[in-house]
Amino acid sequence: MKKIIAGIALLSASSVAMAEAPGGPNCGWGNMLFEGQSGLGAHFIASITNGTSGNNTFGMTTGTNGCSTSGTLTYGGKSMVSSIMGEFSEDVAAGEGDAMDTVAVIYGVEKQDRATFARVMHENFAVIFPNEDVTADEMIASIEEVMKADETLAKYIA
Amino acid sequence: MFHLFRLPCRLILKYLFSVILLLPVTTFAGSAIDPRESLLDKAEEYTLWEKVEWLNLIHYDKEYAGYVSQVDDDRFFYASDGSHNPRSELLATIENLFVEKEDHNQQTQCRFVARTRWLSEQLDIDNMVLPAVHCDEYLEWRQMVQADSVTMVFPAYHLNSPSSMFGHTLLRLDNSQDSKTDWLSYAVNFGADIDNSDNSLLYAYRGLAGGYPGIFISEPYFKKIQEYNRIEHRDIWEYELNLTAEETERMIQHLWELKTINFDYYFFDENCSYRLLELIEVARPEVELTDEFIVTAIPVDTVRAIDDAKLIESVSYRPARATEIQYILEGISDQQREVVLDLSKDISALDSDAFVRLSPKQQKSTVDLAYKYLRYLNTESSRDPATAKRSHQLLQKLNSYPVEIDISNTVPTPLPPERGHKSKRTSIGLGQRLNNNYAEFGFKMAFHDLEDSKDGFLQGAQINIGSIKVRAEDNVGLRLYQLDFVDIFSLTPKNSFFDPLSWKVYTGFERQLTSNKDQLVYHLSGGAGGTWEIVKNHQFHALAIGRLEINKQLRNLIEPAIGFNTGFLSHFRHTTTHLEFSGEHFEDDIYRLRVQYTQNFVLSTNHSIKLFAKHQWQENDIDFSDINLNYQYYF
Repeated sequence: MKKIIAGIALLSASSVAMAEAPGGPNCGWGNMLFEGQSGLGAHFIASITNGTSGNNTFGMTTGTNGCSTSGTLTYGGKSMVSSIMGEFSEDVAAGEGDAMDTVAVIYGVEKQDRATFARVMHENFAVIFPNEDVTADEMIASIEEVMKADETLAKYIA
Repeated sequence: MFHLFRLPCRLILKYLFSVILLLPVTTFAGSAIDPRESLLDKAEEYTLWEKVEWLNLIHYDKEYAGYVSQVDDDRFFYASDGSHNPRSELLATIENLFVEKEDHNQQTQCRFVARTRWLSEQLDIDNMVLPAVHCDEYLEWRQMVQADSVTMVFPAYHLNSPSSMFGHTLLRLDNSQDSKTDWLSYAVNFGADIDNSDNSLLYAYRGLAGGYPGIFISEPYFKKIQEYNRIEHRDIWEYELNLTAEETERMIQHLWELKTINFDYYFFDENCSYRLLELIEVARPEVELTDEFIVTAIPVDTVRAIDDAKLIESVSYRPARATEIQYILEGISDQQREVVLDLSKDISALDSDAFVRLSPKQQKSTVDLAYKYLRYLNTESSRDPATAKRSHQLLQKLNSYPVEIDISNTVPTPLPPERGHKSKRTSIGLGQRLNNNYAEFGFKMAFHDLEDSKDGFLQGAQINIGSIKVRAEDNVGLRLYQLDFVDIFSLTPKNSFFDPLSWKVYTGFERQLTSNKDQLVYHLSGGAGGTWEIVKNHQFHALAIGRLEINKQLRNLIEPAIGFNTGFLSHFRHTTTHLEFSGEHFEDDIYRLRVQYTQNFVLSTNHSIKLFAKHQWQENDIDFSDINLNYQYYF
């Protein structure tokens, strides 16, 4: 019993330690829209044996890139949103798509509100992607801003 | 030694146990019988280590009289001889269930979740007898893997990357409650753990020779979509498996045990596909999938294996971005294609008459296509400010059209790869060469000829590994005619949007008539050029070829030559025609020229009749023909 309590204490302690502000200074998701593929040579090499280099090999995304992931976000959170920034910008422009659905899921948007999410994002393309130099951090801040301003979506941004 | 000491010890305990039972104070019982010993006894009694579930969990393969685990990592075994002794590993695992660790994550229950669960079920272990643990690392990971079903994913062939020539397979752990979570599902991939400092040649060698440890990698599926669909331009096939939530759970628990654990990686047999089949066997112990993969595990054969085992629930197709662009381009007018091209180069084309004249729907699809094409062109380059600006402007324009204007295009689903002809081929035929009759027997390990039925395959992609032809000739007897090690011929058409290289690599032994001597020579040939589509399914190709030949009748030990290869390849519904004109000129000043005609008639998926005719002219020798008719069977 003592062990279980100690375990729980340990778990909550680590949660506190991880609660760094999203987009904080050590956060690894400050990439930019339409960023190119870096290290394609390495990619080619890796593809020969379907291999990988790099330490994040088991999907332990939380805490590994220097960011916290907000409690309301599922599936590993904002680093995911930033990883599909290019695909998402395309879907926001068009008003629908897999990346649009994915971001909605990450924000925990329920099935019945996903059409609203897609519409609101589409209408706010110019806010979320004001220019080609927008960064992932800015994009995420705008997504949340736009969601907060909508009466249906506000509840997903705690 | 260990076991010798334990046996008498247990006898004493049994004796003690019976004595204690006689005592009225029952509370003593729990502390006095060693539950560990009773579990070990039970395991011995049941000979649990012989069960297929255990053999699967530790990845034992039967070798000669005993077993050898495919895992090459001490951290995976408790017993010092665990890698080849299922019994001692099982007993040591039970012992370790009782060993308390400071860090709970290192405790057996947390490290080996699937093993623990299976042992608990088999031995009916009461959790209260084990040390209490809280597996926070496992629980945190399990929380992220929100899955209750499994999909096998097969990114199809892509010829310009050697690794992908046969395709690849991975598993995806899905949430069946919400289909919109595909992109976030965990993709489980078996691959080599790479040391970045290696150069690619050493890398390829080590990959083939097993110099790299293989590990399981799990990452969100969208990374795989980006990698295969967008960067490598490979279509993806997804096979939803009919594994139950419970079977899926077993697989996930076992995956956790394999976190960072090293396997030997061999490109040809114990590769990605083989390992994934093992995972499915862990999930559903009553299926046997890995037995037939003795020499090579070609990924498409993995799909066939799961299909034969009735594991496939449904199939879906996710075309590559390039496939989608190509498909939409085929459906629009020349003028509109022109505007797409202009727009991808210069945003001011939005003001051109050609664009303005289009209907709103055409305008929207033109902008969309120009954007997609521009991103396609920049897949492999780093960020360019002008391109980024133009991409953004195109998206702004796309955003200005109402969502109601529907421009969606669904690429029709082609025949799935596992429905194509099988990977190995044998043939038997009759023919005449140098005015001499012969019977021919052929065998090929893998995989696909340009003239074979293209259904289920990438068109214009010949990949052959290990092909042999033996002929019984009149007046000569039985002799080797040809032995090819590798024969790759990649013909992807060029057009104003796509500019792929066509190429050929071909090496092996073949029979050549030189200075009146008909003998085996060794050659290495390769070349590059282009392919152009005249109309759909009818192509012209032209390549410059370089050749090295080891032939006693030529001046140098290794005789170099330059040459060419041109031809027409036409696919009809049930037959394919290939007409080739090729030649080479050696440094030794002799030349060879040949015209070659191949016609393959498809009888059914795995049966065909092939007619082959060749005429060859060469310096200092007679010109001669070789004609044959073969029946081919794919298996």
